[in-house]
Amino acid sequence: MSTATREATGPAGQPTRPSGKGGWGLSGSSPLALAAKVVLLGMVAAITVWMAMPLIATQSWVLLALLLLSALAIFVVYLQPRYIPPKYLVPGVIFLLLFQVFPVLFTVSTAFTNFGDGHRGSKEEAITAIESSSVKRVKDSATYSLSIATKGDPATGDLVFLLTDPKSKEALIGDATGIKPLEGAEVSSLGRVTAAEGYTILNAGQASTRSKDISNLSVPTDTGAIRAQGISRAYEGVKARAYDKACDCIKDTTTGATWKADGDRGSFVNDKGEALSQGWRVNVGAGNFTRVFQDKTLQTHFLSMLAWNFFFALAVVFGTFAVGLAIALALHHPRLKGLKIYRILIVLPYAMPAFAMMLVWRDMFNQDFGLINQLTGASTNWFGNPWLAKLAVIIIQFWLGYPYMFLVTTGALQSIPTDLTEAAGVDGASKFFSFRTITLPLLFVATAPLLISSFAFNFNNFNAIGFTTEGGPFPPESPQVGGTDLLISYTYRLAFGAGGAQYGFAAAMSLLIFLIVAIISIISFRRTAALEEIN
Amino acid sequence: MKSTRLFAGLAAASLLALPACSGGSGSGSSSSTGSATDSASGASSSATSAAAGGGTLTIWADDKRAAALKPFAEQFGKDNGVTVKVQAVSKDLQAAFVTASQAGNAPDVVVGAHDWIGNMVQNGAVDPVQLADEAAFDPQAVKAVTYDGQVYGVPYAVENLALIRNTKLAPNAPKSMEDLVKTGKELKTSGKAKEIMALQAGQNGDVYHLQPLVNSAGGSLFGMTSDGMPDAKQVKVNSPETVAALKKIAALGEKGSGALKRSITAENAISTFTSGKAAYLVSGPWAITDVKKANMSYDVSAIPAFEGGKPATPFIGTQAFYVASKGKNKSLAQEFTTNFVATPELHVALYKAEPRRPALVEAADQVKGSDADIEKFKAAGEGGLPLPAIPQMSAIWEPMGKAEAAIIGGADVQKSLDAAAAAVKKSIG
Amino acid sequence: MSSGMPTPATGAAGAADGRALGDGPGLLDTPKQPVQLGSAQGSWFSQVGWRHIVALLAVAFSLFPIIFVISAAFNPQGTLSSTTLIPTGASTENFTGLLERTAFKHWFINSVVIAAVAGALSMFLSALAAYAFSRYRFKGRRPGLMFLLLVQMFPQFLAMVTIYIMFTRITELYPSLGFNTWWGLIILYMGGALGVNTWLMKGFFDTIPKDLDESAKVDGATHTQVFFGIILPLVTPILAVVGLLSFIGTINEFLIANIFLTEGNSKTLAVGLFGLVAGERNNNFGIFAAGTLLTAIPTVALFFALQKYIVGGLTAGAVKG
Repeated sequence: MSTATREATGPAGQPTRPSGKGGWGLSGSSPLALAAKVVLLGMVAAITVWMAMPLIATQSWVLLALLLLSALAIFVVYLQPRYIPPKYLVPGVIFLLLFQVFPVLFTVSTAFTNFGDGHRGSKEEAITAIESSSVKRVKDSATYSLSIATKGDPATGDLVFLLTDPKSKEALIGDATGIKPLEGAEVSSLGRVTAAEGYTILNAGQASTRSKDISNLSVPTDTGAIRAQGISRAYEGVKARAYDKACDCIKDTTTGATWKADGDRGSFVNDKGEALSQGWRVNVGAGNFTRVFQDKTLQTHFLSMLAWNFFFALAVVFGTFAVGLAIALALHHPRLKGLKIYRILIVLPYAMPAFAMMLVWRDMFNQDFGLINQLTGASTNWFGNPWLAKLAVIIIQFWLGYPYMFLVTTGALQSIPTDLTEAAGVDGASKFFSFRTITLPLLFVATAPLLISSFAFNFNNFNAIGFTTEGGPFPPESPQVGGTDLLISYTYRLAFGAGGAQYGFAAAMSLLIFLIVAIISIISFRRTAALEEIN
Repeated sequence: MKSTRLFAGLAAASLLALPACSGGSGSGSSSSTGSATDSASGASSSATSAAAGGGTLTIWADDKRAAALKPFAEQFGKDNGVTVKVQAVSKDLQAAFVTASQAGNAPDVVVGAHDWIGNMVQNGAVDPVQLADEAAFDPQAVKAVTYDGQVYGVPYAVENLALIRNTKLAPNAPKSMEDLVKTGKELKTSGKAKEIMALQAGQNGDVYHLQPLVNSAGGSLFGMTSDGMPDAKQVKVNSPETVAALKKIAALGEKGSGALKRSITAENAISTFTSGKAAYLVSGPWAITDVKKANMSYDVSAIPAFEGGKPATPFIGTQAFYVASKGKNKSLAQEFTTNFVATPELHVALYKAEPRRPALVEAADQVKGSDADIEKFKAAGEGGLPLPAIPQMSAIWEPMGKAEAAIIGGADVQKSLDAAAAAVKKSIG
Repeated sequence: MSSGMPTPATGAAGAADGRALGDGPGLLDTPKQPVQLGSAQGSWFSQVGWRHIVALLAVAFSLFPIIFVISAAFNPQGTLSSTTLIPTGASTENFTGLLERTAFKHWFINSVVIAAVAGALSMFLSALAAYAFSRYRFKGRRPGLMFLLLVQMFPQFLAMVTIYIMFTRITELYPSLGFNTWWGLIILYMGGALGVNTWLMKGFFDTIPKDLDESAKVDGATHTQVFFGIILPLVTPILAVVGLLSFIGTINEFLIANIFLTEGNSKTLAVGLFGLVAGERNNNFGIFAAGTLLTAIPTVALFFALQKYIVGGLTAGAVKG
């Protein structure tokens, strides 16, 4: 909020009054306000301390610094008297930055990476995954009965594996150095070591708290290493694949195959160009964007998809607004009986869970079993024909959306001073005149921004498609772009269709779509500037 | 000047309310979850681990399985002195699991279909498991959970499609698909049924449910590598055989006999059958619960082949338990999946929650005496391939399903399949 | 669908109005009717009657899918294809099944608490910001407004992964604000408090003549007095509307809640209900329908409670004074 205003007193350009009246400075405040402010800032301080403690405990210094800076900023904003807007904006902005701006920025940054399934983590994580998934049981090797034990304290002592060979019933002890016979052990009838001198055998609860140590312990043998499988069995396995730092590659010790690290792809690749499935995340520069531009399907279908996308959003916004407003006007009458009941029944669609109702609508449009064809006696193939499917999608969205517009315009009509319109007289002509000259402009002032945001919402309304047609119907010559596909639903399929999620690619695509919508919104937003100053 | 500073007051009040309410919600949620059935999952994790003296084992499953698993998982917890939490993720469980795994918040065990393995492995989200006794399991189930030469899950149920028929409407199992269509048509004209067959072709296609027919007509979607694994690089979506096969399918479609319809979808296929509107249903063991609930006489048989065609083999699916590689309590997770889950008692119990064939041979033998459907489903799945688990395979499902839907709607077969093949090749790259 | 006209109105007027209803803008012409019809007071129909027809048509359109859901909820068979528009049974089996076999009560309480708190807080944060945007001119004001809109336009399913990673960390540091808690979800929803609703409120704040607060300021009122003493009372209807919209938006939110709430008893209605039908909507359809209906109850109740504010008419006096 460093760009706060200098015109602290508001629109009319009144000179700033002496300090203390317009501001929240400590001087000149009433006792009550002062007390409230002290309590309020005290709370901020308390929350800061509460939040700081775990950060100190985990030594998260960067987060701690951010926290303290934020707290300081809040104190500054509320203790200084001059800049008023930040005082009103800060509470919401904190949450906005944390839970909207930051995730979006982070996601946008992934547009330049290969982030997605198979490339989610770091190279180290990929190596760990490759190595641990290559551990194979040594052929014809024994499965040991296992008891996990420690020297000394169960929570901290060094771990050992107490094993019994299934054939010889011989008790063995294994640790990181190797395996040797165990003297003085009690072995149960099931063949498990139940007691051993000098060792504490862990029960399941104790063992589970040492889970990491147990997983990390491998007891070397001549042919491999003994690892725990759970807490009651152990097996001898060999790690077939291992990372070799010298060649920056993965080597398979049984077959001799090697996969070299490819830092551009984020994969280990062999000579044939085949990659191991576990890769890591790397920057790919503008690669995702060039992929979007080179997408043949997108090239041929982009314009028609964009056109439908616009039509869908506009039809829904203006359709719901016009009808919502019309009904709000019709019901805006002091002598209308049953008004409350009408209102609530009309708003009901908005109260129902949207996803549930979209699914219900989808079933109602079914050609053979749907309610709509049953009632009308027709056999319209709603979702089989691209135009009918488009119509169906709009109808569903219209049903879901018009109660909202009705509610908002009802609220708007109530807010508009009624005496302004009523003063104009009782005869219809001047009523209409007053409506057009007074009510309607005021209504637009109130709702124009809403129409823009509603447009933006519907332009990207993934659920409207995802829960109904899923983009279909798909023409036989193009199984990729369906009759009701919006850019967002197409993106979704493209990103999550083949071989897992491709977040980086989807982010790039979304960023481009976002730019289109943003430009349109900014242009239309400019036009609202005139409306804003109507007063 | 008296300024009330209402804002400050209100804001302070709301801030004051914040910690107070948070305390309230904390106690509220713990008391609400502290019911007898679920005393384990209520309090915060630190509290429970302290109370139980041991660690916590968290299991993720879908809603139905979570409910079935809960009593047994809690028994395991009691026996071992640990806290077990069974949590349900209703939508996109696999995606949620992979994301949680990446974030470091993964559960210890996840339950799901075997075709998730490919994606979970490429994200390093699951570890291989060592089955105590591989021979105790159904070979088809072990094959399904084996990926890249490693066993990744402990299977507990095997499932595949079969033909379920209303024996009141159609007393005899059809000898061939042609036979089925003939009987279905007669029932339709006599007004006893409204549809020939309930097979969820869907508006956007359903490869899984159509594949038995495609197989029978000689089509295939992909080739196999030399070691018998599905190979996404050999796309056979528009091979001459597959085109010929889909022409046979087209003859059953909306412009043909009308046995296949896009209006029959996942939502209405089973209920179309149970309400007596169709004499035949192509579905899996999960449909049996509903069929029984509808109190009808039914029988299960193999999906009939086309006359002179190959057997109509369905894909084999397996449900399995996986050990999360980034779980906090791997040892316990391994103990749970490989030693506790792999017992006939648990398999039978899970079968009772939903009648899918237990993956342990001993458990399957136990239940097949009381449930004849088990063997019938097994027979219907004879020779079927496991549903491919490699992640690239998902690139085939979407375009192929759409092409099949278009073909059922009467579109040109060659054109549709060519377009699908082009789409598959593009996304596999 | 429509249950027809409420009274035997004159044929001519009815027809004229019927046409006017057909298209939105035509509606605006209807107040002219009294002049054309010539009756001095205007017949009951042209004054009020046609409004009933509009209302009934709208009600019919709104209700028709809902009646289908109601019918399914009371249909003991509870499958999709056995459900018709007119209820065939009056069994409460689905409702009792829902209450007995699921954690519906928990879902219900969770949803109501989360939606009420998040809705109220969100309304308050939004009103604060709207006041600044409407009444002050500062650098970055219009870009800021634009920014609020744009940030909401980014597809949420992509940001999901980041949010999840953030909350994993938050859960570690502050378990009481983490996954499966009320407050975790509430603060996350607060991220969207400034957004469409801020725009909406700012629009309404703009309709209030600025002379009002200016004269108050000349009299020595502070900005907080202007905000709470003058502006807020004047916009009570829209506060109520925004509160209601936030409540509805929160109670129906699914995407985040689905991965955020995994413990059975911590779930909200939207997540719990979806779980009932995930994969097998056919056979649980009756229960699902029953749940859908019950989910609407808190919203409808809140709407009833807020009606008097929405209907208000408070503004008339205030403008004069």
